[in-house]
Order: sequence, then structure tokens, then C-alpha cells
Amino acid sequence: MDKQEIIDKINQVFEKSFEIEKGKLQPQANIFEDLGLDSLDVVDLVVVLQQKFGIKIRDDQRIRNIRTLEDIYKFILILKDEGKNTVN
Amino acid sequence: MKTLKLIYFNTVFYTLFLSFSMFSIPILSLSVIFLGLFSSHRNTMKRFRRAINWYGNVVIRVLPFPFVRFRYKDYARNKGRGPYIFVCNHRSSSDPFLIGCLPYELIQIVNTWPFRLPVLGIFARWAGYLNVKRMQFKEFSCKTIELLRQGVSIVAFPEGTRSRNKKIGQFHSSIFRVALQAQCPIVPICISGNENIPPRGSLLLHPGIIKMHKLTGLEWEQYKDLGPFKLKNKVRDIIASELAAMEGGHERFISLS
Repeated sequence: MDKQEIIDKINQVFEKSFEIEKGKLQPQANIFEDLGLDSLDVVDLVVVLQQKFGIKIRDDQRIRNIRTLEDIYKFILILKDEGKNTVN
Repeated sequence: MKTLKLIYFNTVFYTLFLSFSMFSIPILSLSVIFLGLFSSHRNTMKRFRRAINWYGNVVIRVLPFPFVRFRYKDYARNKGRGPYIFVCNHRSSSDPFLIGCLPYELIQIVNTWPFRLPVLGIFARWAGYLNVKRMQFKEFSCKTIELLRQGVSIVAFPEGTRSRNKKIGQFHSSIFRVALQAQCPIVPICISGNENIPPRGSLLLHPGIIKMHKLTGLEWEQYKDLGPFKLKNKVRDIIASELAAMEGGHERFISLS
């Protein structure tokens, strides 16, 4: 899975699960201030991302530093590269 | 001249506010306690919360009159007895007082600061107001659902903090998750005109007209298929749209279907 595929899949999550317009899904968009997610929505987002990418991210401390969509793209890319947290 | 008017208004208001509070709070408290000797805890709490509503109503509608005028409109098609989850926009520290005009037994979901207010903070705690900053979602959810089960309506300000301008902030989803679980109607409340009564970070009241619109509630059947994220944004859009109509100089009826 290349970078663009990951970006497309993440954007699909925001479009389908949160019904956020495609136009708002800019890499620099702040997921809290611009997209309107809150801490509980982030928990929902994590669950969907885990299912979508077959990775375990719930207990990963790095998730606390995520602010923008770009941060999510990078975070998922790193986890896919690490390839060790695969959910069975 | 404008400054003199402002000084006069605030002097009169705060004098009346202090006198009224010193007189009404002990009398209301003693009345509730006395009647509580002959009735159940549940009925005493009901009376206590109604007394708080009455106090808030007088403070914001009567004491600042005629410098501040309050116009309340109830657009609800079906006037049920509740309980409801009232969702309000939040621009001023006078909002919790304005809520007193709602004719229901209710508690408010608030930040930490109202609990720190002298006297009023103690009453907020006794009335069972929920400090959303001090509890995990699970505890918040259990307590709110229990209150709704008892017939107590809930007032929430899901922006979390007073907005710094007329733009409505992002909503937090907690109360909408509870509404989905409790299958409770959500009633949007729009408050406009109190941005300077008083302005954020100040106690100085400015003269003005406050408008409060209670819209038709969203029944559970109407929103049960939405997730909390979509639901909070739907209610936010309804409130934003009504506020735009209120502040655009024309009033209109909003369809929630």
C-alpha cells in the first residue's frame, strides 16, 4: 500500500464515518478546530482506522500528538512501515 | 453620557442583585428545607431546582429591566412535560440565568468556574449540577441518564466555553452520545444579544435586548440512525441557522425534518 492509497483510505473514513465534505480534507486541517472532532470522536476514529488498516493503535502514545490530517497520514504510514502491530 | 448611563445601570443592577440575593436565597432555602420535612427527597429536589429557576429568572429578567429586555419565544410544536436535553449556544455568563425561564425541573452541565461562585456555586452543587471537567464520560453518562430517568431535564452548552465572537464553536459530542443512549428528545435553544451582558472577562453589564428561542425538539426516532458526530453537527447547524435568522433581522421557522 503506497502513501497515496493510505491518504485516500483515511479520507474515505472521514467522508463516510463522519460525513465531512471532501473539500475540507486538507492535510493541514486541524481535526479538532477545522473538522470538529472531539476526544470521544477520536476514539471512534481510532476504532475505524484499526479496522481499515488492520493495525493496533489504541494504546500507542504517539496518537496524543496528532493534530492535523497530515499527522494521521504520517502516523499510519509509520505504523504500516513498522508492520509489527498487526491485529490478528 | 453613555458612560454615565453605564455606571448608573450597573450600580442599580448590582445593588438590586445583592439585596435580592441576600433576601431571596435564605427565604427560598428555608422554604425548601421546611417543606422538605413533610415530603420526599425527590419532591424536595424538584422544589429546590424550581426555586433556582425562579431566582435566575428574576435576576436576568426583572433586575436589569428596562436597560436589558428579554424576549423569549417557544417554537415547540408539541409542549410535552419532558424530560428533555436542552442544547444551547454559549456566549455569556448570563446564559445559566436565562435558562431559568424554561418551565421544567432541570440541572445544567457546567464547567468548573460556576462551582467556584460564592453561594451560587454551593447551590449548584446541591442541585446536582454536573461538572463535566471533573468526570470521565462513563460517570457523566450514568449520572445524566439517571437524572433523565427521574424526570429531570438537562441543559448543556456543548461548545464547552463561551465563544469569543458571534461564531458558534465546535460542539463536544458527550451529551449527544447520552441522548442516543437515553432515547431522549433534544431541544435546541438559541440565545442572542447577551454577548455584552456581560462581555467575556468582565462583570460590566451593557444595555441591550436578549432573545432566546426554544425550537421544536428532535425526537429520538428522528435522530436514532445518526452517529454522535453527525448528530452534534446537525443540532449545531440548526442553532447556527436560527441565530443567523435572529441576527439577520428576520425571524423564521426552522423545519427539523
